[in-house]
Amino acid sequence: MKPIFNISALLFIIILASCSKEPAITNGLLDGDVIFDPSINNPEGYYISAKYPNPTQADLDKHIIIAIHGYTATTFEWQEFVDWTDDTYGDTGTYRVSQILMGAHGRTYEAFKASKWQDWAESAKVEYQKLVDLGYTKISLVGSSTGATVCLEMMHSGFFNSTVAPQNIFIVDGIIVSSNKTQSIANIVGPMLVYVEADQPAEQDSFWYRFRPQETVRELNKMMKEGQKELENGITAPSGTRVKVFHSVNDPTASSASAVLLYKGLQHSDGSTIDVEMMESDIHVFTRLALRKYEGLSVTQKNIDNQLSAFQQMAEQLN
Amino acid sequence: MNKYATALGLVLGTFLVKSQDLDLGIRIQKTHSMYWENGITAQYTLAKFKPDNFYVGFSYVTSRIGTAAGTNALKQDSYIANVGWNFGKKVKPFRVHARLNFGYFHAEEVVDIFKDVPNTAFLFSPEFGLKYTFQKLPITLNLASGYYLFTGDGGESPGTLQPLYYHLDITYQIFKNN
Repeated sequence: MKPIFNISALLFIIILASCSKEPAITNGLLDGDVIFDPSINNPEGYYISAKYPNPTQADLDKHIIIAIHGYTATTFEWQEFVDWTDDTYGDTGTYRVSQILMGAHGRTYEAFKASKWQDWAESAKVEYQKLVDLGYTKISLVGSSTGATVCLEMMHSGFFNSTVAPQNIFIVDGIIVSSNKTQSIANIVGPMLVYVEADQPAEQDSFWYRFRPQETVRELNKMMKEGQKELENGITAPSGTRVKVFHSVNDPTASSASAVLLYKGLQHSDGSTIDVEMMESDIHVFTRLALRKYEGLSVTQKNIDNQLSAFQQMAEQLN
Repeated sequence: MNKYATALGLVLGTFLVKSQDLDLGIRIQKTHSMYWENGITAQYTLAKFKPDNFYVGFSYVTSRIGTAAGTNALKQDSYIANVGWNFGKKVKPFRVHARLNFGYFHAEEVVDIFKDVPNTAFLFSPEFGLKYTFQKLPITLNLASGYYLFTGDGGESPGTLQPLYYHLDITYQIFKNN
């Protein structure tokens, strides 16, 4: 009996020690109390509703695209699209980008840890409704990774039933099933792990949370699971909304099977299939190329072409 | 239809091997955070090698008679061969067992635009379970759990192939050689 008692005691101590561990958060991390997403203190620089609180008719004639980033990310994820839009069209373009920050993101580890996936999705819904209330009639959405899952949730939850339907929903590397094979067991081993540290270079620490509380991984799984189930039952996009999916064929984070599930489970209101384009790419969120070199990746001409193609295709629809 | 014929052929092919006992039945399987995939299973012991402990078998599970039945879930099939060991020297109604599974996974491609999406994989998993054989009826219940290893990570592995699974086999002893 003695050896069994000793082993049991050892296991108990290991579990207890695991449950009490905290991540080493420094001031140089987004997770800390010093660095925040800039949209928090400067919403006018990111949210169209804040930038134009009293829009003129000329403002209201613009097509607004709400850009939603992914899990642990920030407004940085869609900054290149904003910059490309400014460089390409300046003030004469037909559309403007509203870069939203998902709830509990871009703040602190503790804020993130306490959040639910519904909190993450809330920002997009609030901005969408604000734009409608201001009088905008041409609104589209683009979501990357979990931002795409938010777009899907807005469709299957009936959010658009009581408001103006979006003209377009663009899904970039949307996550319905994960490429990470251990993510599915997060609700089993999560409490022992407490958090997962992202394998990201230091240069990205200002723009993505480095430490992912196990609670948030479970929330992500819940959100993905709900999206998966709704797709199995069938989701119809709002009347008049066109859906286009872009997905990296060898996405290391959001399995490209997600695009297949979206194709099978989501249809336009007229019964037609959604548009899906598989990108010859092995990076997650192929529309973001900034800071990739620090991940040990060489940004190839193909990567650049993929990004440009997506930007151009979206811009062409935002008229 | 060819894959079904192959699966059935492999199961029926067990009759060609001189077996001690042959159990044939159904499998009800759930992958953690993924699909129900159900099917058939055949397990047999070999007369000339540890017939009270060692066994081999074959199973076929599919989402077609699971989550994919009547839904938009992906249709996918797994063909699995296994070697197993029933622990304990004596044959008892209740036994603990372990297996090593080797197999092949295939998910539907759906349409040509997805031709480059990973949809096949070789399978390998250790598995542990409990089985109970009824005394008066030649029926065995086997409740087990396994974890697929080397399914590949990143973007090279089928997304709907997830590692942790549980299954319940209900088998009937077709014959028993004493």
